[in-house]
Amino acid sequence: MRLLRLREVKAFFQGHAASHQLGWNWIPRLSLSPKGLKILAASLSCCGCPTGKGMSWAQAILLARGLSRGWGGICSTALTGAPFSQVTPQAPRGLHCSTAAHNPDSPLVPRPPEPQRGLVKALAPHEELFRQAPDGVRDKASFVQAVQNFTQYNVHKRGHVDFIYLALRKMREYGVERDLAIYNLLLDIFPKEVFRPRNIFHSIFLHYPRQQECGIAVLEQMENHGVMPNKETEFLLTQIFGRKSYPMLKFVRMKLWFTRFKNINPFPVPRDLPQDPVDLARLALRHMEPDLSARVTVYQMPLSKDSTDATDPTEPHIVGIQSPDQQAALAHHDPARPIFVEGPFSLWLRDKCVYYHILRADLLPPEEREVEEIPEEWNLYYPMQLDLAYGRSSWDDYEFNIDEVEEGPVFAICMAGAHDQATLAKWIQGLQETNPTLARIPVVFRLSASSGELLASSSGLEETPLTPPEGREEEENNQQRQQQSQS
Amino acid sequence: MSGCGLFLRSAAAARLGRALVAFTASRRPLRTSPPSQAFAKELFLGKIEKKEVFPFPEVSQDELNEINQFVGPVEKFFTEEVDSQKIDREGKIPNETLEKLKSLGLFGMQVPEEYGGLGLSNTMYARLGEIISLDCSIAVTLAAHQAIGLKGIILAGSEEQKARYLPKLASGEHVAAFCLTEPASGSDAASIRTRATLSEDKKHYVLNGSKVWITNGGLASVFTVFAKTEVVDSNGSVKDKVTAFIVERDFGGITSGKPEDKLGIRGSNTCEVHFENTRVPVENVLGEVGGGFKVAMNILNSGRFSMGSAVAGMLKKLIEMTAEYACTRKQFNRNLSEFGLIQEKFALMAQKAYVMESMAYLTAGMLDQPGFPDCSIEAAMVKVFSSEAAWQCVSEALQVLGGSGYMRDYPYERILRDSRILLIFEGTNEILRMYIALTGLQHAGRILTARVKQLKQGNVTTIMETVSQRVRDSLGRTVDLGLTGKLGAVHPSMETIVEEQLVLKRVANILINLYGMTAVLSRASRSIRVGLQNHDHEVLLANIFCTEAYYQNLFALSQLDKSDLRREERGTPRNSEHWHPTPTVLTRLSPPAVGMTKWLLQQILRKISMN
Repeated sequence: MRLLRLREVKAFFQGHAASHQLGWNWIPRLSLSPKGLKILAASLSCCGCPTGKGMSWAQAILLARGLSRGWGGICSTALTGAPFSQVTPQAPRGLHCSTAAHNPDSPLVPRPPEPQRGLVKALAPHEELFRQAPDGVRDKASFVQAVQNFTQYNVHKRGHVDFIYLALRKMREYGVERDLAIYNLLLDIFPKEVFRPRNIFHSIFLHYPRQQECGIAVLEQMENHGVMPNKETEFLLTQIFGRKSYPMLKFVRMKLWFTRFKNINPFPVPRDLPQDPVDLARLALRHMEPDLSARVTVYQMPLSKDSTDATDPTEPHIVGIQSPDQQAALAHHDPARPIFVEGPFSLWLRDKCVYYHILRADLLPPEEREVEEIPEEWNLYYPMQLDLAYGRSSWDDYEFNIDEVEEGPVFAICMAGAHDQATLAKWIQGLQETNPTLARIPVVFRLSASSGELLASSSGLEETPLTPPEGREEEENNQQRQQQSQS
Repeated sequence: MSGCGLFLRSAAAARLGRALVAFTASRRPLRTSPPSQAFAKELFLGKIEKKEVFPFPEVSQDELNEINQFVGPVEKFFTEEVDSQKIDREGKIPNETLEKLKSLGLFGMQVPEEYGGLGLSNTMYARLGEIISLDCSIAVTLAAHQAIGLKGIILAGSEEQKARYLPKLASGEHVAAFCLTEPASGSDAASIRTRATLSEDKKHYVLNGSKVWITNGGLASVFTVFAKTEVVDSNGSVKDKVTAFIVERDFGGITSGKPEDKLGIRGSNTCEVHFENTRVPVENVLGEVGGGFKVAMNILNSGRFSMGSAVAGMLKKLIEMTAEYACTRKQFNRNLSEFGLIQEKFALMAQKAYVMESMAYLTAGMLDQPGFPDCSIEAAMVKVFSSEAAWQCVSEALQVLGGSGYMRDYPYERILRDSRILLIFEGTNEILRMYIALTGLQHAGRILTARVKQLKQGNVTTIMETVSQRVRDSLGRTVDLGLTGKLGAVHPSMETIVEEQLVLKRVANILINLYGMTAVLSRASRSIRVGLQNHDHEVLLANIFCTEAYYQNLFALSQLDKSDLRREERGTPRNSEHWHPTPTVLTRLSPPAVGMTKWLLQQILRKISMN
């Protein structure tokens, strides 16, 4: 144990000394204070090693690493005079143990970029880069411009990690979160060759953890948005972090799993959902209905928003779907048995939640079901049924284990702008045109209580969509809906 | 040539006299013992009825002479006077050819002699079929006329009906057609739409409806039509049932559509036939009112066996032509026939032709045995095997011929087109496989359930039998087909087996192979015994086929052992299929996918090397 600790200390010393001798001016920005180390150790003991021994070991390593960094930095500054001069103004701010400073409460594993409030404020200088877009246009070009400004005016790439985190957060605003070129551009900000592990110990222990985490954060955002890295990404990563680094590992994993998971959903939802509620309902209904021959009918179009704003809010859209098989089943339904309108049930399409209602009947009791019998003279060529005399006796096992729960038939599905009975009654009226028997069947409305909470939360989710104005409109719609459903 | 025809007619007349005398004695004598179980059905129980198939059915010397008398002139006519290419081009058989066929008596080959037909036995019919099939259009026309068209009258007709229709049909004055298929009804009898309603005076049925794809529909003047009629049940309820009618064109209201333009057999006439208020006298009901289903089934089942020999005849001719080409065409100073890959194709063709010929004649021989044996399974087997082998062989022959096989100036492509229909008509091969497997399993299932019942009731003899059978089995002597029994692949509880079409297909394939092997062994051993020329060659062919079929059966059995056969190979063409778009070939293979392929290949290679 003890021996190891010593060796580690030595290794880090050597490694960092070497890197600084090469002439880079990377000086950690925060100080190596005993307090910081203690916090780090405490956080590690909370979330890390279960055994006391392991903890002390990890503590020791970190201690050693921090020491080495600090020491190395001091050494290099002491040894090499010339490059140091540039950095001098920052030196009073102290030396920095990167892991400890970035997020003292989190473990040492790679984690998503969750910048703290405090840090965001501290990053104000970079934020300016994104504000200075000419006429407030937020698109790819202005984003690229901001990044280029950073690289141009900041030759030494000071604070690039923070800038990258900021840029990652800004990507959605600029609508470039699915753009591979932009991610590569962000990765390109990293200085090359600096963070590559020089020897085996570098690669065993997280080398330049903050930078590696930042690289992982970039990849993770790519992953979240389903962007497949390409050769250029690989090339950049090998240049920046080397083959044996955590970002590279992440990259390789993405390469492996993305191809397998990309098309794993047999029912893919389009990437950009239609904004029009009728189109969205149409899509959702098609998505739910397995029968391709089913027909979508728009029973009522919503009143256009600009012509009547809130003068007549009682005209929500009603879109329904019904397949020929369902139509036939409804035609055969016994009019003495009621059918039910049930809902609303929720359906998630990407980040949108829509609600639908179904028209269904209860399952027939077993004694009333018609047994489909095979006519005697049916098939001209081969027997359709083998009439064998199975004499069942007490030996035979009658009990089968059947896990299927049978449900009553569903006759139609609809999506409406409002979930009240009046609207749904209109749907039933519309259905009667194609299903004459429906006029004779009693329809019972079994509507569950309003689902306002979910709606509110979903609108909350939509606060940061691609196009903020529409989101706001939808929010208003939702509020209207809630009011309607409450009334 | 006409003299030849006259000779045939007189020979037929001479036979007629003889037959009238010896009719009751020779034809189908009364039998008191139960009819022997058909070979194929017993095969399903794991038994091989040796006395049915060994020795190979022999033809008496008289009959042989007679056949040769017929065959000579017919063969001469077909090789010299029939211009198949012209028939195919023009899509019509010339009237002179039809007249000649009629004068040769070929329109009444199986019509009993007392009605003016040739009254050929099944074996002789099969032999003539070999010749007739030299032109497929003519063969199909003749088959539609007598194998199904007038077969109903022979099988189910009353004496008056026979006397009224058969003589003219046998002479070819009238041509017959079989009208069953409808736009909405192929093998589904329940969806037949043609309807016959009894008129007020109860003397006529009024027939309305239309039939499609009727061979000879344009030529025929006598139709066997199947239509729905209302039948009062024993318990008083009215039901729609199928009834067969003999309809003459003269009854009026019959129109036929224009001849269909087909891929092959272009000389045969296929068209729609419409019946509009056709008045059919009550006397023309074939069989019983409401009994049309059985009539149709019997006709269809009895019409099939001749396909084996017909295909064999066609194939032998094709092999002859192909061999001539392969032996004359030189490449690299060598004849094509000297190349191994070409020889392999000839071996395949010879083997298939030999097997189907053996199967066809064995079946014909079984049918000729006294006692109305039910050989419908065997006939279906012959049909399935021969049609598939024909397609395969013709394709291989075209391969040997190379470019000239593809040219319309040569007859080969016509043969290819013609042979495609064999897999489709007279019951598609898929349906026939179902028939083979299900009919056999029904038979086996009945016997097995009866035995199980007896076991449960504690019948001592049955228990003893079963136990001794087990002991014998465990001593390892009997052939266990693996189809039935406790550890067999097909579980005896066959309530859902009807739906297990993939299982049934394999069962049918195994049975077809077994029947083929039996036929070949029987024939080859007869050849050795009789000391035929080149019987060593026959033994070789038999060996090749048996080895192949044996391995095919082993493979099929191992497939049957797999429990989830049904899900594995079935791509259900459901409505929602488009949810699972198959990636195109150009879809990029990711590196891991390439790795997978490599791994799979390695696995396969390892398996191969282990075997």
